Amino acid sequence: MTRDEDGMGSTRRALAIGGATVLAALAVTGGAWAQEADAALGTAAAPVNVRMIANEAFAKQWQTNMVPEFNKRFPHIKVTIDGVPYAELLAKSLLDVTGPSPTYDIIIADDPWIPQLAQTGALLDLKKDAAAWTAKDYDWSDFNTAPLAAGEWRGAQYGVPLRSNLLLMFVNKTLYKKAGLPEPTPKLTWDEYFAQAPKLVQDTNNGGKPSAWAIDTYFARDALTPTIWQTILNSNGGALLDQNNKPAFNNEKGVKALQMHIDLLKYAPPGAISHGFNESLQAFRQGQVATMFMWGSVFRGTAVDAATTTLTPEQVGIQVMPVGSSGPGAHRGIWSGAVTNKSKQQRAAWALLQWLSSKEGEVWQANALGVFPARKSTLATKPESAWLTPVYVALQQGYDAAQAGEMWRPRMPKSDAVQQVLADETARAVSGQIPADQALKNAATRIERLLR
Amino acid sequence: MTRTRAMSTDEAARPKTSRMWLGIKDFLSRWTFMTPAALLLLATLAYPILYTIQISFSELDLGSFTPSGFVGWDNYLTVLEDDRFWNALRVTGIYLVLALPLQMALGFGIAYLINAEWRWRGVVRALFIIPMVVAPVVAGGVWRMLLDPLWGVVNYLLGLIGAGPVDWLGDPVLAMVTLVLVDTWRWTPFVTLIATAALLALPQDVFEAAEIDGANWWIKFKSIAIPLLMPVIAATFIVRWLGAVKMFDIALATTNGGPGHATSVINLFIYEEAFRSLKFAESSAMAVIVLILTMALTAIFLRGAKKLEDMY
Amino acid sequence: MTAASSTAVRRGKFPTGHYLRIAGGVIACAFFLFPVFWMVLTSFKMPRDIFTTPPTLFFTPTIETYTSYIWHADVPRRMLNTVIVACGAGLLSIVAGSMAGYALARVKLRGAATIGALILLSRGVPPIALAVPMFLVARRLGIADQHITLILAYCTFLIPYVMWLMRSFFKSLPPELEESAMLDGCTRFGAFVRIIVPISMPGLLSTLIFSIILAWEELLFALVLTNRFATTIPVAIAGIAGDSVNGANWGALTAVGTLTVIPVVIFALLVQKWLIKGLADGATKG
Repeated sequence: MTRDEDGMGSTRRALAIGGATVLAALAVTGGAWAQEADAALGTAAAPVNVRMIANEAFAKQWQTNMVPEFNKRFPHIKVTIDGVPYAELLAKSLLDVTGPSPTYDIIIADDPWIPQLAQTGALLDLKKDAAAWTAKDYDWSDFNTAPLAAGEWRGAQYGVPLRSNLLLMFVNKTLYKKAGLPEPTPKLTWDEYFAQAPKLVQDTNNGGKPSAWAIDTYFARDALTPTIWQTILNSNGGALLDQNNKPAFNNEKGVKALQMHIDLLKYAPPGAISHGFNESLQAFRQGQVATMFMWGSVFRGTAVDAATTTLTPEQVGIQVMPVGSSGPGAHRGIWSGAVTNKSKQQRAAWALLQWLSSKEGEVWQANALGVFPARKSTLATKPESAWLTPVYVALQQGYDAAQAGEMWRPRMPKSDAVQQVLADETARAVSGQIPADQALKNAATRIERLLR
Repeated sequence: MTRTRAMSTDEAARPKTSRMWLGIKDFLSRWTFMTPAALLLLATLAYPILYTIQISFSELDLGSFTPSGFVGWDNYLTVLEDDRFWNALRVTGIYLVLALPLQMALGFGIAYLINAEWRWRGVVRALFIIPMVVAPVVAGGVWRMLLDPLWGVVNYLLGLIGAGPVDWLGDPVLAMVTLVLVDTWRWTPFVTLIATAALLALPQDVFEAAEIDGANWWIKFKSIAIPLLMPVIAATFIVRWLGAVKMFDIALATTNGGPGHATSVINLFIYEEAFRSLKFAESSAMAVIVLILTMALTAIFLRGAKKLEDMY
Repeated sequence: MTAASSTAVRRGKFPTGHYLRIAGGVIACAFFLFPVFWMVLTSFKMPRDIFTTPPTLFFTPTIETYTSYIWHADVPRRMLNTVIVACGAGLLSIVAGSMAGYALARVKLRGAATIGALILLSRGVPPIALAVPMFLVARRLGIADQHITLILAYCTFLIPYVMWLMRSFFKSLPPELEESAMLDGCTRFGAFVRIIVPISMPGLLSTLIFSIILAWEELLFALVLTNRFATTIPVAIAGIAGDSVNGANWGALTAVGTLTVIPVVIFALLVQKWLIKGLADGATKG
């Protein structure tokens, strides 16, 4: 109860601060709007500096490739990107934006983080506070609903999608052929999947014991492991939380979905119980598993780049996850860019985010860096690299599935904490320490207490 | 002693102010030794600890990262009701009981072995430091590679003699064994390094004298080496204990606390609660509890160490 | 048996026991170095060759990770930062810590034992509980992301270690040493610097080595307290391992691991001579 009121209070505070910023900006600019505008975007004599905190995994790529491209349009905005390892990025961003004079003008936030960052009152509402600086042809409605929603919280748009990602199913077509099974299609159901799985555990090199398995994915205790279970749950019409943010998974549907996640282990390689992101990637890239539920962004390193994978684009299929009682599965993972409202370079910061998420910027980024787009118009273009074509098809299917089944992590300031609880309890079930129903019961109790 | 007597003979001849001045000077010269460390630590250690204690009794306002609102023992009660906290303490206890004696015994044993005098002694000694320098993240990863049921060399070799594959990381009991193994691999060289320095400082003439008296190796070991080494053994144990009790990076990289919570040592748990779940208030309460527990145990060990020193 | 034969031993003539001891040392060393060997081997593999079944000893080696990836991850700058921070913290703590250790071992001070015990006991705080308040202070002082911040942070765990270890080394020295020096007109501090420090060289050096190593590999404080300017190698390694876009690049990880090992090995080999020299000095003077 009290917590809710606190939350409301801080939103109101955030809105008030945001409004005040706009008023102040208007008051300062007054009549000399055009001149002010140029200075805010930097001049040859006085360039402006914009600093960004981002995931270490792509900070360097952006700094060396994206920034020079951006500087072709805005030569006087100097951009510095600091990379932080993923696991510490949220905490570091929070520690920074809550300070009296934050270092960063731009925060790059993962899918569930926007509410928590916005709650501190540190982010700019881009549709409102930055409206005056937004280009007329910046088409908000062109974004797919699912990725745009990742930057939204309580009616305000704090972030724009910069790197989109989805949990999808990767298929090793060679292993399906060896097992004498038809290549999966996006219509494949969970029942069919489980019926075929035993045949995909096969001895491919006549060594007398299995050398290829059906599946590898997240099984170890990890914040992202529950996304597998949750996607199964969502595709069967279940939900994580109800409209009042109370746990809605502690029922037959939830237990069935978790049991299915656990049953996947039967067809997974030995040791898969401690596998997560890296291990399942290795197994799939070595051609040891026929399917993998994994983030689409790894496609390039899994099917295309000969330095990292033994597979080729012809061997690797990508599609939505199997179909449940209410539709196919996917799970959203969007990196959004947000502007901090204590930043002195808000206009320049927004200029960067705006360009990168514009039609032009997205097409450039998709073709040059292989980063997945969020705009319908970009997904409808023909990508320069042939390998991206099937990926675009799968992405569009995935966005639709994620939108229909609300397949994303909880959107609230405590979403990360909720995710940790789910990770804890499902991991205990997966490792056989407690039965599935007990795990979900524990998780429900703990989440209810957390959100009280 | 001698010095004070020397001073007191002069005393009568000197005026009182000078005596006081000498007293102050002596006082200062004694404190010169303690002051730098005390001041440095007061600045860097005292505030954070007090801050942590303050947060542990408050609710943390994530909007400003300042403690807001006194909540009494609420955070502590939440922590004490959490069975994961108790599990983490239990896991840490098991880890300490297994890892510390193993590392001490191996460390001193290996120090004895590699200090045998020969041409390459220096090189062997230097090479032995390497495991300590391998970053925990890399160490954890390399060990995971070695132990993996699918790709690992260890299971491959076991397979050659018809055993395995052993799921070193998937089984809760074996995962703890693996954690102790990796930790021992990284930290035994540390014990060896200190033990080497201590062995080098042992007075050889005592041993030679004992040999001439016809003492066998057991008597030399028991009656000369152990008593002489006891202060160093005790000190190393305490240093190692203080390091081991804070261990989290090796667990993070090797097992990440898994499977389930089987290897979730207390500092990994607190780290995750604080920096990943952002529950700073509760994790501060945990930190304070752990601090008190560790202080109490360390005090007991210190006492034991002193007893041992006095005994020999 | 051993006793009987060893009585006859003089320098240069060794019994079988001695060779067994050497063999044991070498075998132990081999066991401990095998994972390091594997790490170095892996650093020369293409990513797709790293996880093969069965594991492979023979592959086409590549230095691509060294030539390409290393420069991308800002390794040289971070290596320099790591050297600055590790050596700075190591030296500062060896000075402050060994003085405090000496005070505990020799100087009779009322209250010093309590302070020493407190310093040691304070080490029980989980590091994350220290890191966040430290960040807040550094932010207020405007020294976040500076070398000095990390150096001071590392002193919090290095000084107690140094103090405690050196205390036991000083205790094992005969007290007559500095007493006679002080009779000859040395101040207490002069006696410490001129007599005690040279004699304790092996202990001081091994303690310094491990202080530098502890600072060298420290991750948590570096993660929390630095962003760009002062980031160290462990942060880079954590970033490579936690690559949530392409998966951990084990080639790069082990390459960086190998690079961080090399300077310390060289350092250790150099200091090795000093360790023995320090001992020899101590032996002649003692």
